Amino acid sequence: MKNFREVAAGKKSLKKDYVAVMMWFMGRAIQAAAAVDMAARKEFAGMPDGFTFALSVMPNGPHMIIGKDQRGFVRYKGWDPEGKKIDLDMKIKNIEAALLLFTFQESTTLATARNRLVVDGDVAHACAVVRILDIVEVYLLPKIIAKLAVKRYPGWSFRRKYLGRMLIYVRSIFGL
Amino acid sequence: MDMPAYYEFCCRVKIISGHDVLERIPATLAELTARRPMIVTDKGVVGAGLINVVVNAIGGRVDITAIADDVPPDSDLRIVNSLARLYREKGCDSLLAIGGGSVMDTAKGINIIVSEEADDLMRFSGANALKRALRPLIAIPTTAGTGSEVTLVAVIKDHEKHLKMAFVSNFLLPNACVVDSRMTLTLPPAATAATGMDALSHAVEAYTCLAKNPLSDAHALAATRLISDNLLKVTLNPGDKEGRLGMASAATLAGIAFGNSMVGMVHTLGHSVGSVCGVPHGACMAILLPYGLEYNMHKNGHLTAELLFPMAGAPVYAATPKEERAQAVIALIRRMNQELYEATGGRHARFFKEALDRDGREMVPKERLPDIAETALRDGSISYNPEDLDYDDFLMVMEAAWEGRPLDTGLIRKG
Repeated sequence: MKNFREVAAGKKSLKKDYVAVMMWFMGRAIQAAAAVDMAARKEFAGMPDGFTFALSVMPNGPHMIIGKDQRGFVRYKGWDPEGKKIDLDMKIKNIEAALLLFTFQESTTLATARNRLVVDGDVAHACAVVRILDIVEVYLLPKIIAKLAVKRYPGWSFRRKYLGRMLIYVRSIFGL
Repeated sequence: MDMPAYYEFCCRVKIISGHDVLERIPATLAELTARRPMIVTDKGVVGAGLINVVVNAIGGRVDITAIADDVPPDSDLRIVNSLARLYREKGCDSLLAIGGGSVMDTAKGINIIVSEEADDLMRFSGANALKRALRPLIAIPTTAGTGSEVTLVAVIKDHEKHLKMAFVSNFLLPNACVVDSRMTLTLPPAATAATGMDALSHAVEAYTCLAKNPLSDAHALAATRLISDNLLKVTLNPGDKEGRLGMASAATLAGIAFGNSMVGMVHTLGHSVGSVCGVPHGACMAILLPYGLEYNMHKNGHLTAELLFPMAGAPVYAATPKEERAQAVIALIRRMNQELYEATGGRHARFFKEALDRDGREMVPKERLPDIAETALRDGSISYNPEDLDYDDFLMVMEAAWEGRPLDTGLIRKG
């Protein structure tokens, strides 16, 4: 045993960094969408005040934590789950699966169908989170990419799509 | 063949199937080093004399420590807790679940509590909350439909809090299931028809929805063929032992298929109709199955078309032009519903408007359709459906299924 040398697992830092940045921006965009978009607001309205959910990559992150405060406002609560009570944790099984998701090679639903996600918490709320992620992806991404990320690209009005997109980008950049 | 980039498949249930296989229960318990089982069942099963069939088959070779027959039609948290207490008081070491889906789910719930030495079942709800093997559980189905004897899921209702808790874990798979044709011989024609269509909906959705994989496909195709060959036969002639065994095997096969590739919108809506209006699950599946296939046709019509072979046989498949096969499958399912309606003297509903309770009252009033559509949005099975559905889509499908008219394909928004 004295010759045993512990081999550290590959860190895949670049992939983790990419996913972490995407999650950071997505988190801020979800906060923005909750303020700007009627459908996203309705989905959050179905969650209890104080509800917190996380999208995490197993085993050690990155994480994206979103919470609804006691007054009903939705906030991006950072990437560190330490000390936070998570009501719903949607865990992506590994960084490779997360990369497929965040490079939009695989939609959230397809990732679910392919067993790449583990849901720890209430399934009804998980369904709402998936719908919120779809809404945000449609706002953030050009149609040609968003069509890969969602099951059905919605037929939104010009005003909702482009005005909403502008507002969400501005709010995401400034963290509003 | 559609080949997923990644899939998982697990079914480690020992399946013992045949005409006289209940006699294998003592040996199976011995393999699991269990000696003092508790039987979990319901009053319907006892009333049909099926517990006597099992007890006689076991003979004196096993000490049946307790028989609990008060499982309600919907599994219930209170009953799970009280039966777990009984299990502990009597010093049982294993469970025999004899019944349909509710009995199986109840037994799985009891097993969680007694194995984890827990008081709060809720702590283990959701996916993968269980971390170790539970006590030995042998499932003996008395319907040919749910497939619960080979699935990793239990759904238990908390009627006081109006909550439906889902438990998903590979540790919930029974250690063995004993599928004996004697156990379904007394199933009445209407229940035979509904549970059989439930099994068909498992097989068809497993084959046509997003999480399909080659292993679940093999099980789904075999199940579809057995159901097509046997369902009408056993509904017309309940004493047909060969047909009963065929249907029991089909339900188990379909259970393995959907346990590993999940189900789509037929179940999403079916769960909601059951939850809002209390319509039996099998009846919902029978009505909704053709609508699910119609709605998804532009996404998975090529897969639906492939089902014509096991459903109608090689000559019909070969004689039907490729582009008409999917529609032929839908027409066949509607014809099956019609034939089952006639075979059961009108007790097998073809659409929701004609679904009646025991007192002859309409079970799905039209004004409840919006509630059903709203409830469907919270069901996890929607993730596995090929096409997206929002509230308006669910309502559109429900309105058609309520009236019994085919879907207006022009109203389907295609992604």
